Amino acid sequence: MTVVASTPPPRLPVRDRQAALREARGVVSPMLTRLADERATGVLHREHGTLHLVDGRVVHAESPLAPSLGTLLTAHGGLDATAWRDAEDTADEAHLLRHGVTPGVLELTQVSALYDAAYFALAPSSTPGRFRYGGAHWLAAVHPVPVDDLERETLRRRALLRHIWPDPAIDGAPLVRADPVAAPAVPSRQAAVLARVDGVRKAVDIARELGRPAFHTLVHLRRLAAAGLVCVRTPPHQDHPSDGAGDPYVALLKRVRDALEAL
Amino acid sequence: MPGIDECLLETMRLPGARGAALVDWTSGLALGTVGDPPGGDHETAAAEAAELARLAAEQQAFGPEDGGDAADPPVEDVILSNRDSYHVLRFVPTSFDSSVCLYLWLARSDGNLALARIRLGEMAERLVLG
Repeated sequence: MTVVASTPPPRLPVRDRQAALREARGVVSPMLTRLADERATGVLHREHGTLHLVDGRVVHAESPLAPSLGTLLTAHGGLDATAWRDAEDTADEAHLLRHGVTPGVLELTQVSALYDAAYFALAPSSTPGRFRYGGAHWLAAVHPVPVDDLERETLRRRALLRHIWPDPAIDGAPLVRADPVAAPAVPSRQAAVLARVDGVRKAVDIARELGRPAFHTLVHLRRLAAAGLVCVRTPPHQDHPSDGAGDPYVALLKRVRDALEAL
Repeated sequence: MPGIDECLLETMRLPGARGAALVDWTSGLALGTVGDPPGGDHETAAAEAAELARLAAEQQAFGPEDGGDAADPPVEDVILSNRDSYHVLRFVPTSFDSSVCLYLWLARSDGNLALARIRLGEMAERLVLG
Protein backbone atom coordinates (compact mmCIF):
# COMPACT_ATOMS: atom_id res chain seq x y z
CA MET A 1 0.00 0.00 0.00
CA THR A 2 1.31 3.38 -0.87
CA VAL A 3 0.68 6.12 1.60
CA VAL A 4 0.48 9.48 -0.07
CA ALA A 5 0.81 12.40 2.30
CA SER A 6 -1.41 15.26 1.27
CA THR A 7 -0.10 18.78 1.50
CA PRO A 8 -0.89 20.29 4.90
CA PRO A 9 -3.41 23.13 4.63
CA PRO A 10 -1.97 26.62 4.82
CA ARG A 11 -2.33 28.62 8.01
CA LEU A 12 -5.01 31.28 8.13
CA PRO A 13 -3.16 34.55 7.56
CA VAL A 14 -2.62 36.73 10.60
CA ARG A 15 -1.11 40.15 10.86
CA ASP A 16 0.44 42.73 13.11
CA ARG A 17 -2.53 44.76 14.27
CA GLN A 18 -1.03 48.26 14.39
CA ALA A 19 0.70 47.90 11.04
CA ALA A 20 -2.46 46.47 9.55
CA LEU A 21 -4.50 49.39 10.87
CA ARG A 22 -2.19 51.86 9.16
CA GLU A 23 -2.02 49.91 5.93
CA ALA A 24 -5.65 48.96 5.60
CA ARG A 25 -7.18 52.37 6.09
CA GLY A 26 -8.48 53.71 2.81
CA VAL A 27 -6.79 50.99 0.75
CA VAL A 28 -9.97 49.06 -0.01
CA SER A 29 -12.17 52.07 -0.75
CA PRO A 30 -11.08 55.65 -0.02
CA MET A 31 -14.67 56.77 -0.54
CA LEU A 32 -15.92 54.39 2.15
CA THR A 33 -13.27 55.63 4.59
CA ARG A 34 -14.34 59.23 3.90
CA LEU A 35 -18.00 58.34 4.49
CA ALA A 36 -17.04 56.69 7.78
CA ASP A 37 -15.15 59.80 8.87
CA GLU A 38 -18.11 62.06 8.17
CA ARG A 39 -20.46 59.56 9.89
CA ALA A 40 -22.65 59.37 6.80
CA THR A 41 -26.00 57.58 6.55
CA GLY A 42 -27.15 56.18 3.22
CA VAL A 43 -26.32 53.62 0.57
CA LEU A 44 -23.01 53.14 -1.25
CA HIS A 45 -23.45 51.50 -4.65
CA ARG A 46 -20.37 49.82 -6.06
CA GLU A 47 -19.88 47.68 -9.15
CA HIS A 48 -20.22 44.34 -7.35
CA GLY A 49 -22.54 45.23 -4.50
CA THR A 50 -24.13 47.69 -2.12
CA LEU A 51 -23.21 48.82 1.41
CA HIS A 52 -25.78 50.41 3.74
CA LEU A 53 -24.32 52.88 6.23
CA VAL A 54 -25.71 54.45 9.40
CA ASP A 55 -23.57 57.06 11.21
CA GLY A 56 -20.53 55.94 9.26
CA ARG A 57 -20.87 52.28 10.20
CA VAL A 58 -21.86 49.48 7.84
CA VAL A 59 -25.17 47.94 8.91
CA HIS A 60 -26.04 45.80 5.89
CA ALA A 61 -24.49 44.64 2.62
CA GLU A 62 -25.77 43.02 -0.54
CA SER A 63 -24.03 41.61 -3.60
CA PRO A 64 -25.21 39.63 -6.63
CA LEU A 65 -22.19 37.40 -5.97
CA ALA A 66 -23.30 36.40 -2.46
CA PRO A 67 -26.50 34.72 -1.15
CA SER A 68 -28.76 37.25 0.55
CA LEU A 69 -29.68 37.18 4.23
CA GLY A 70 -33.09 35.86 3.17
CA THR A 71 -31.47 32.95 1.30
CA LEU A 72 -29.31 32.05 4.30
CA LEU A 73 -32.24 32.25 6.75
CA THR A 74 -34.67 30.25 4.60
CA ALA A 75 -32.23 27.65 3.21
CA HIS A 76 -32.28 25.31 6.19
CA GLY A 77 -35.92 25.36 7.15
CA GLY A 78 -35.51 27.93 9.90
CA LEU A 79 -37.81 30.39 8.20
CA ASP A 80 -40.28 30.01 5.36
CA ALA A 81 -39.87 32.19 2.31
CA THR A 82 -43.24 33.91 2.71
CA ALA A 83 -42.39 35.07 6.22
CA TRP A 84 -39.09 36.47 4.94
CA ARG A 85 -40.80 38.34 2.09
CA ASP A 86 -43.40 39.79 4.47
CA ALA A 87 -40.68 40.97 6.84
CA GLU A 88 -38.74 42.49 3.96
CA ASP A 89 -41.79 44.19 2.45
CA THR A 90 -42.86 45.71 5.74
CA ALA A 91 -39.25 46.34 6.86
CA ASP A 92 -40.16 44.68 10.14
CA GLU A 93 -37.41 42.96 12.12
CA ALA A 94 -39.92 41.81 14.76
CA HIS A 95 -41.77 39.84 12.09
CA LEU A 96 -38.70 37.60 11.72
CA LEU A 97 -38.53 37.06 15.47
CA ARG A 98 -42.23 36.12 15.58
CA HIS A 99 -41.63 33.47 12.92
CA GLY A 100 -39.09 31.40 14.79
CA VAL A 101 -35.84 33.26 14.12
CA THR A 102 -34.13 33.80 17.48
CA PRO A 103 -32.22 37.06 18.05
CA GLY A 104 -28.97 35.06 18.24
CA VAL A 105 -29.54 33.35 14.90
CA LEU A 106 -30.59 36.62 13.27
CA GLU A 107 -27.42 38.35 14.49
CA LEU A 108 -25.12 35.45 13.53
CA THR A 109 -26.66 35.21 10.08
CA GLN A 110 -26.78 38.97 9.50
CA VAL A 111 -23.13 39.50 10.44
CA SER A 112 -22.07 36.53 8.28
CA ALA A 113 -24.09 37.84 5.32
CA LEU A 114 -22.74 41.36 5.87
CA TYR A 115 -19.06 40.42 5.79
CA ASP A 116 -19.78 38.01 2.94
CA ALA A 117 -21.51 40.51 0.64
CA ALA A 118 -19.07 43.28 1.61
CA TYR A 119 -16.13 41.11 0.53
CA PHE A 120 -17.53 41.13 -3.01
CA ALA A 121 -18.86 44.69 -2.89
CA LEU A 122 -15.37 45.90 -1.96
CA ALA A 123 -13.61 43.95 -4.71
CA PRO A 124 -11.60 46.15 -7.07
CA SER A 125 -14.00 47.69 -9.58
CA SER A 126 -13.76 49.40 -12.93
CA THR A 127 -16.41 52.00 -12.20
CA PRO A 128 -16.53 54.61 -9.40
CA GLY A 129 -18.90 54.08 -6.49
CA ARG A 130 -21.97 56.27 -5.94
CA PHE A 131 -23.31 57.28 -2.53
CA ARG A 132 -26.90 58.26 -1.91
CA TYR A 133 -27.60 59.90 1.42
CA GLY A 134 -30.79 58.60 2.96
CA GLY A 135 -32.51 56.69 5.71
CA ALA A 136 -31.34 53.69 7.70
CA HIS A 137 -31.73 50.09 6.50
CA TRP A 138 -34.46 48.17 8.33
CA LEU A 139 -31.94 45.77 9.88
CA ALA A 140 -29.59 48.58 10.92
CA ALA A 141 -29.80 47.76 14.62
CA VAL A 142 -28.84 44.09 14.36
CA HIS A 143 -25.04 44.29 14.11
CA PRO A 144 -23.34 47.50 12.86
CA VAL A 145 -19.71 47.02 11.81
CA PRO A 146 -17.03 49.77 11.85
CA VAL A 147 -15.63 50.49 8.38
CA ASP A 148 -12.03 49.93 9.53
CA ASP A 149 -12.91 46.43 10.77
CA LEU A 150 -14.64 45.62 7.49
CA GLU A 151 -11.71 46.83 5.37
CA ARG A 152 -9.15 44.88 7.42
CA GLU A 153 -11.26 41.73 7.27
CA THR A 154 -11.71 42.11 3.51
CA LEU A 155 -7.92 42.32 3.04
CA ARG A 156 -7.41 39.34 5.34
CA ARG A 157 -9.93 37.33 3.34
CA ARG A 158 -8.18 38.12 0.07
CA ALA A 159 -4.89 36.95 1.59
CA LEU A 160 -6.53 33.78 2.93
CA LEU A 161 -7.81 32.75 -0.51
CA ARG A 162 -4.44 33.55 -2.07
CA HIS A 163 -2.69 31.37 0.53
CA ILE A 164 -4.93 28.39 -0.08
CA TRP A 165 -4.69 28.43 -3.88
CA PRO A 166 -3.44 31.42 -5.84
CA ASP A 167 -5.62 31.16 -8.97
CA PRO A 168 -8.63 33.54 -8.68
CA ALA A 169 -10.26 32.08 -11.81
CA ILE A 170 -11.90 29.47 -9.55
CA ASP A 171 -14.07 32.16 -7.96
CA GLY A 172 -16.07 33.25 -10.97
CA ALA A 173 -16.00 30.58 -13.67
CA PRO A 174 -18.02 27.39 -14.29
CA LEU A 175 -16.16 24.53 -12.64
CA VAL A 176 -15.51 20.90 -13.46
CA ARG A 177 -14.35 17.98 -11.36
CA ALA A 178 -10.83 16.82 -12.04
CA ASP A 179 -9.34 13.40 -11.65
CA PRO A 180 -6.24 13.67 -9.50
CA VAL A 181 -3.55 11.03 -9.23
CA ALA A 182 -4.15 10.36 -5.55
CA ALA A 183 -7.47 11.81 -4.45
CA PRO A 184 -7.31 12.91 -0.81
CA ALA A 185 -10.22 12.37 1.58
CA VAL A 186 -12.69 15.25 1.40
CA PRO A 187 -14.28 16.63 4.60
CA SER A 188 -18.09 16.62 4.55
CA ARG A 189 -18.60 20.35 4.01
CA GLN A 190 -16.22 20.35 1.09
CA ALA A 191 -17.84 17.17 -0.21
CA ALA A 192 -21.22 18.94 -0.38
CA VAL A 193 -19.60 21.64 -2.52
CA LEU A 194 -17.76 19.10 -4.67
CA ALA A 195 -20.98 17.18 -5.32
CA ARG A 196 -22.44 20.28 -6.99
CA VAL A 197 -19.51 20.93 -9.33
CA ASP A 198 -20.93 19.93 -12.70
CA GLY A 199 -19.36 22.05 -15.44
CA VAL A 200 -22.22 24.57 -15.35
CA ARG A 201 -22.47 25.89 -11.81
CA LYS A 202 -20.21 28.66 -10.54
CA ALA A 203 -19.18 29.28 -6.94
CA VAL A 204 -22.10 31.64 -6.30
CA ASP A 205 -24.65 29.11 -7.63
CA ILE A 206 -23.28 26.45 -5.31
CA ALA A 207 -23.35 28.86 -2.35
CA ARG A 208 -27.02 29.70 -3.02
CA GLU A 209 -28.04 26.06 -3.34
CA LEU A 210 -26.30 25.12 -0.11
CA GLY A 211 -27.48 28.27 1.68
CA ARG A 212 -23.93 29.08 2.73
CA PRO A 213 -21.99 32.32 2.52
CA ALA A 214 -20.26 32.67 -0.86
CA PHE A 215 -16.86 33.34 0.72
CA HIS A 216 -17.07 30.04 2.65
CA THR A 217 -17.79 28.32 -0.65
CA LEU A 218 -14.77 30.02 -2.22
CA VAL A 219 -12.61 28.76 0.66
CA HIS A 220 -13.88 25.23 0.10
CA LEU A 221 -13.46 25.45 -3.68
CA ARG A 222 -9.91 26.79 -3.43
CA ARG A 223 -9.04 23.92 -1.06
CA LEU A 224 -10.58 21.49 -3.54
CA ALA A 225 -8.61 23.14 -6.35
CA ALA A 226 -5.40 22.89 -4.31
CA ALA A 227 -6.14 19.19 -3.80
CA GLY A 228 -6.59 18.83 -7.57
CA LEU A 229 -10.27 17.89 -7.35
CA VAL A 230 -11.74 20.92 -9.07
CA CYS A 231 -10.62 23.10 -11.95
CA VAL A 232 -11.99 25.78 -14.22
CA ARG A 233 -13.81 24.47 -17.27
CA THR A 234 -11.70 25.34 -20.29
CA PRO A 235 -13.56 26.13 -23.51
CA PRO A 236 -13.21 23.24 -25.99
CA HIS A 237 -11.53 25.35 -28.66
CA GLN A 238 -8.54 26.13 -26.44
CA ASP A 239 -5.22 24.39 -26.70
CA HIS A 240 -5.92 20.92 -25.45
CA PRO A 241 -3.86 18.61 -27.61
CA SER A 242 -5.12 15.07 -27.60
CA ASP A 243 -1.83 13.73 -26.30
CA GLY A 244 -2.21 12.93 -22.65
CA ALA A 245 -5.46 14.84 -22.22
CA GLY A 246 -6.86 12.02 -20.15
CA ASP A 247 -3.59 11.26 -18.39
CA PRO A 248 -3.83 12.19 -14.70
CA TYR A 249 -0.08 12.84 -14.52
CA VAL A 250 -0.31 15.34 -17.34
CA ALA A 251 -3.26 16.95 -15.55
CA LEU A 252 -1.15 17.20 -12.39
CA LEU A 253 1.71 18.87 -14.25
CA LYS A 254 -0.71 21.33 -15.81
CA ARG A 255 -2.09 22.20 -12.40
CA VAL A 256 1.41 22.83 -11.09
CA ARG A 257 2.14 25.01 -14.11
CA ASP A 258 -1.11 26.95 -13.64
CA ALA A 259 -0.40 27.47 -9.96
CA LEU A 260 3.11 28.73 -10.69
CA GLU A 261 1.79 31.11 -13.32
CA ALA A 262 -0.83 32.41 -10.92
CA LEU A 263 1.72 33.17 -8.18
CA MET B 1 -29.53 35.95 26.31
CA PRO B 2 -30.37 37.69 23.06
CA GLY B 3 -27.18 38.27 21.10
CA ILE B 4 -23.47 37.71 20.54
CA ASP B 5 -22.23 40.33 23.02
CA GLU B 6 -24.53 39.13 25.81
CA CYS B 7 -23.35 35.57 25.24
CA LEU B 8 -19.69 36.60 25.44
CA LEU B 9 -20.24 38.73 28.56
CA GLU B 10 -21.94 35.76 30.19
CA THR B 11 -18.89 33.66 29.32
CA MET B 12 -16.65 36.16 31.10
CA ARG B 13 -18.54 35.56 34.35
CA LEU B 14 -16.98 32.10 34.60
CA PRO B 15 -14.29 31.96 37.30
CA GLY B 16 -10.86 32.51 35.77
CA ALA B 17 -12.13 33.75 32.39
CA ARG B 18 -9.51 35.99 30.75
CA GLY B 19 -10.97 36.50 27.31
CA ALA B 20 -13.57 35.09 24.96
CA ALA B 21 -14.55 35.30 21.33
CA LEU B 22 -17.10 33.99 18.89
CA VAL B 23 -15.18 32.69 15.90
CA ASP B 24 -16.22 31.60 12.41
CA TRP B 25 -13.90 28.66 11.80
CA THR B 26 -14.24 28.61 8.02
CA SER B 27 -13.27 32.23 7.41
CA GLY B 28 -11.30 32.92 10.63
CA LEU B 29 -13.48 35.96 11.40
CA ALA B 30 -14.02 37.04 15.02
CA LEU B 31 -17.75 37.82 15.15
CA GLY B 32 -17.36 39.22 18.65
CA THR B 33 -14.66 39.52 21.28
CA VAL B 34 -14.49 40.40 24.97
CA GLY B 35 -11.77 40.58 27.65
CA ASP B 36 -8.05 40.17 27.05
CA PRO B 37 -6.84 38.72 23.77
CA PRO B 38 -4.67 35.58 24.04
CA GLY B 39 -1.37 36.37 22.34
CA GLY B 40 -2.06 40.11 22.36
CA ASP B 41 -4.51 40.44 19.48
CA HIS B 42 -8.10 39.19 19.26
CA GLU B 43 -8.20 38.94 15.48
CA THR B 44 -4.96 36.97 15.25
CA ALA B 45 -6.12 34.69 18.06
CA ALA B 46 -9.43 34.15 16.26
CA ALA B 47 -7.70 33.15 13.03
CA GLU B 48 -5.47 30.70 14.90
CA ALA B 49 -8.36 29.26 16.91
CA ALA B 50 -10.28 28.85 13.65
CA GLU B 51 -7.45 26.78 12.24
CA LEU B 52 -7.49 24.48 15.27
CA ALA B 53 -11.29 24.19 15.19
CA ARG B 54 -11.28 23.35 11.48
CA LEU B 55 -8.72 20.59 11.90
CA ALA B 56 -10.76 19.07 14.73
CA ALA B 57 -14.07 19.41 12.88
CA GLU B 58 -12.90 17.95 9.58
CA GLN B 59 -11.06 14.82 10.71
CA GLN B 60 -13.17 11.68 10.72
CA ALA B 61 -11.08 10.12 13.47
CA PHE B 62 -12.38 12.66 15.99
CA GLY B 63 -16.07 11.91 15.40
CA PRO B 64 -18.15 9.59 17.63
CA GLU B 65 -17.54 5.89 17.14
CA ASP B 66 -21.08 5.04 16.08
CA GLY B 67 -20.86 7.77 13.47
CA GLY B 68 -24.60 7.48 13.02
CA ASP B 69 -25.91 10.92 13.76
CA ALA B 70 -25.46 13.62 11.18
CA ALA B 71 -24.26 16.23 13.65
CA ASP B 72 -22.16 18.74 11.81
CA PRO B 73 -19.47 19.10 12.99
CA PRO B 74 -19.29 15.75 14.82
CA VAL B 75 -17.04 17.28 17.48
CA GLU B 76 -18.41 19.09 20.58
CA ASP B 77 -15.40 20.90 21.90
CA VAL B 78 -11.61 21.18 21.76
CA ILE B 79 -9.60 21.68 24.94
CA LEU B 80 -6.00 22.82 24.96
CA SER B 81 -3.95 23.42 28.07
CA ASN B 82 -0.61 25.02 28.83
CA ARG B 83 1.32 25.89 32.01
CA ASP B 84 -0.89 28.82 32.98
CA SER B 85 -4.12 28.59 31.01
CA TYR B 86 -6.77 26.55 29.24
CA HIS B 87 -8.16 27.30 25.81
CA VAL B 88 -11.63 25.84 25.22
CA LEU B 89 -13.36 25.88 21.84
CA ARG B 90 -17.04 24.96 21.87
CA PHE B 91 -18.79 24.35 18.55
CA VAL B 92 -22.15 26.10 18.30
CA PRO B 93 -24.77 23.64 17.02
CA THR B 94 -27.03 25.32 14.47
CA SER B 95 -29.82 24.08 12.25
CA PHE B 96 -28.40 26.31 9.54
CA ASP B 97 -25.04 25.66 7.97
CA SER B 98 -22.89 27.96 10.06
CA SER B 99 -19.37 27.22 11.22
CA VAL B 100 -19.16 29.08 14.51
CA CYS B 101 -17.49 28.24 17.82
CA LEU B 102 -17.21 29.89 21.21
CA TYR B 103 -13.61 30.38 22.27
CA LEU B 104 -12.77 30.83 25.95
CA TRP B 105 -9.34 31.63 27.40
CA LEU B 106 -9.24 30.50 31.02
CA ALA B 107 -6.63 31.10 33.73
CA ARG B 108 -5.43 27.79 35.08
CA SER B 109 -4.99 29.01 38.67
CA ASP B 110 -8.61 29.96 39.31
CA GLY B 111 -10.45 28.42 36.37
CA ASN B 112 -12.60 25.31 36.62
CA LEU B 113 -12.32 23.37 33.37
CA ALA B 114 -15.26 21.04 34.00
CA LEU B 115 -17.56 23.90 34.90
CA ALA B 116 -16.39 25.96 31.93
CA ARG B 117 -17.03 23.08 29.57
CA ILE B 118 -20.57 22.57 30.81
CA ARG B 119 -21.43 26.27 30.83
CA LEU B 120 -19.98 26.88 27.36
CA GLY B 121 -22.17 24.09 26.02
CA GLU B 122 -25.24 25.67 27.60
CA MET B 123 -24.34 29.11 26.28
CA ALA B 124 -23.67 27.87 22.76
CA GLU B 125 -27.09 26.26 22.75
CA ARG B 126 -28.85 29.31 24.15
CA LEU B 127 -27.19 31.58 21.60
CA VAL B 128 -29.07 29.87 18.79
CA LEU B 129 -32.18 28.64 20.61
CA GLY B 130 -32.83 31.95 22.34
